[in-house]
Amino acid sequence: MTDLSSSGTGRAGGTAHSNGRGLTGLLLVSAPVALLGWLIIYPIFNAIARTLFAPTQTGTAFSLDTYGRFFSDGYALANLWLTLWVTAVCAALLLAICLPLALYLRFAKSRVAGVVQGLALFPMFVPSVILAYALIRTIGPNGGVDLVLNALGLPKINSPYLTPWGPIIGLVWDNIPLTTLMLVAGLGAVSDNAVEAARDAGARPIALLRHIILPQIGNAMLVVLSFTVLSIFSAFTLPYVLGPASPEMMGPFMQRTFSQVMDPRMAVTQAVITFAICAVFGAFYVRSIAKNREARR
Amino acid sequence: MTAIDPSTLSAEVPVHRTKRPDWLGLALALALGIVVVIPLLVVAIWAFAEVWRYPSLLPQEFGFRFWQATLARPDVWAAMSLSLRLSVTVTLLSALICLPAAYAFARMDFPGRNLLFLSFLASHAFPKFGLLVAIAGIFLNLGLISTFWGVVLIQLVGTLMMMIWIPVAAFQNVDRAMEEAARDAGAGPIRVFWSVSLPQAAPTIFAAVLLSFVGTFYETEGAWLIGAPEIRTMPVLMITYINNQIVVQYGAVLSVLLWVPSFIALMFTRRLVGSGSFAKGFGV
Repeated sequence: MTDLSSSGTGRAGGTAHSNGRGLTGLLLVSAPVALLGWLIIYPIFNAIARTLFAPTQTGTAFSLDTYGRFFSDGYALANLWLTLWVTAVCAALLLAICLPLALYLRFAKSRVAGVVQGLALFPMFVPSVILAYALIRTIGPNGGVDLVLNALGLPKINSPYLTPWGPIIGLVWDNIPLTTLMLVAGLGAVSDNAVEAARDAGARPIALLRHIILPQIGNAMLVVLSFTVLSIFSAFTLPYVLGPASPEMMGPFMQRTFSQVMDPRMAVTQAVITFAICAVFGAFYVRSIAKNREARR
Repeated sequence: MTAIDPSTLSAEVPVHRTKRPDWLGLALALALGIVVVIPLLVVAIWAFAEVWRYPSLLPQEFGFRFWQATLARPDVWAAMSLSLRLSVTVTLLSALICLPAAYAFARMDFPGRNLLFLSFLASHAFPKFGLLVAIAGIFLNLGLISTFWGVVLIQLVGTLMMMIWIPVAAFQNVDRAMEEAARDAGAGPIRVFWSVSLPQAAPTIFAAVLLSFVGTFYETEGAWLIGAPEIRTMPVLMITYINNQIVVQYGAVLSVLLWVPSFIALMFTRRLVGSGSFAKGFGV
């Protein structure tokens, strides 16, 4: 529905419009485009330029000093590794949880499916601050889970609060709705006929999944993966509230470098490093959008 | 590639009276119910607990004492009013600049249309927090750090995408035949837009506006990074409460209070979010 040339009852644009309308169109989109240019595109180039050219007595000179400092600092590297590790674990958990959910939602025909979908989308409407607080109260020390275990005469859990598992649980919880939605959308490409034909031919569920379904949703799964990487690299609230203080994830690390260490240039360097790591996934994501829009034309 | 069959999604799940119960569905619903609902339930209980000592399964005393205590705090009211002012300002500005742009993207032909539209969708392709840090670096030089308008700008950027791609879909789905009929009956272009196109697109646009409002209300990262220390919105206040661990119930009461807007959003926008168009905006 986000493609511009199809969908709906008619075609957008058309030959009837004169050049005058072309100008009006440009005028109408100019304000958000200007904002996009000023606050998204310009900051990215500004960040790269600002970190590569350091001010010296004689003007500015090319310098990689902040990058050198980042990659020789054990603490910064530990933070980067932690973020990469959390990203990998979250991506694996999300696929493991959301793929079965999406498969169920795609093929289920019962009334329960509506309830399952409602519950799966629910976390989208819970802001991360409230989620963080709720998780502390639930799986934190002496939280709800401990109360129940204690009442049952079982030992307390090893609380994930303030360990890397805290943000992992929170981030997975937070990302379930979007991941499920994307996978269900991807599964829309799998036709009922193909599935039924394979089933009639005696294919078992595992074979069905491997040979009929997975090949068709490869693109959707890669988009999901890209999206997870991007969202976890930019996560701040959950790692900040639930995560360990040292090593910390890149979000809180950048924030602390900017606001507490008061070293904006170093903070921007860290930001550029996250851009570079996410670039592959971002590029894949953009290519995927462009390709879908191309295909629908 | 993702022509979604709307019948696969909840709102329109065909109700087949199957003979046997949907055990798999019930199991999934139960598992999700536990994982999704229990943390929020624990918070709701805390909000009404006056005394809750470990290891009692339920609070020893229930009551509204902490509601009064929380609502008597001036910082709560200051944050609430600031958050509302910010959200209203950002949503109005966003509607003002994005809705005409959405109409243009959906219905007009102009040079660079596809590229510009794609660039809005592509703005998702950067890690948001890194981008915020880069913007903060620029705002530092402009003196926008820790100001109301600095936070407005940051949050405005966050609403751009939602306020453009959902309304674009809404304007595209307007029935052209009705517009032409109105035009044949002698209505001018503005009259056609106001009386025919807009009413048809309005419910979806309303949902987008509501989602932007709620999203801005809960926006934490930008407010924390750009707004600190002067601009303390509700979510920022909430983080301070969590960090300082003053009184458990303050956070619980605030959570329940903060939950109201998201519940309203849930009621109004579930259909939109559940439909395929939402996922498509993310390039699936």
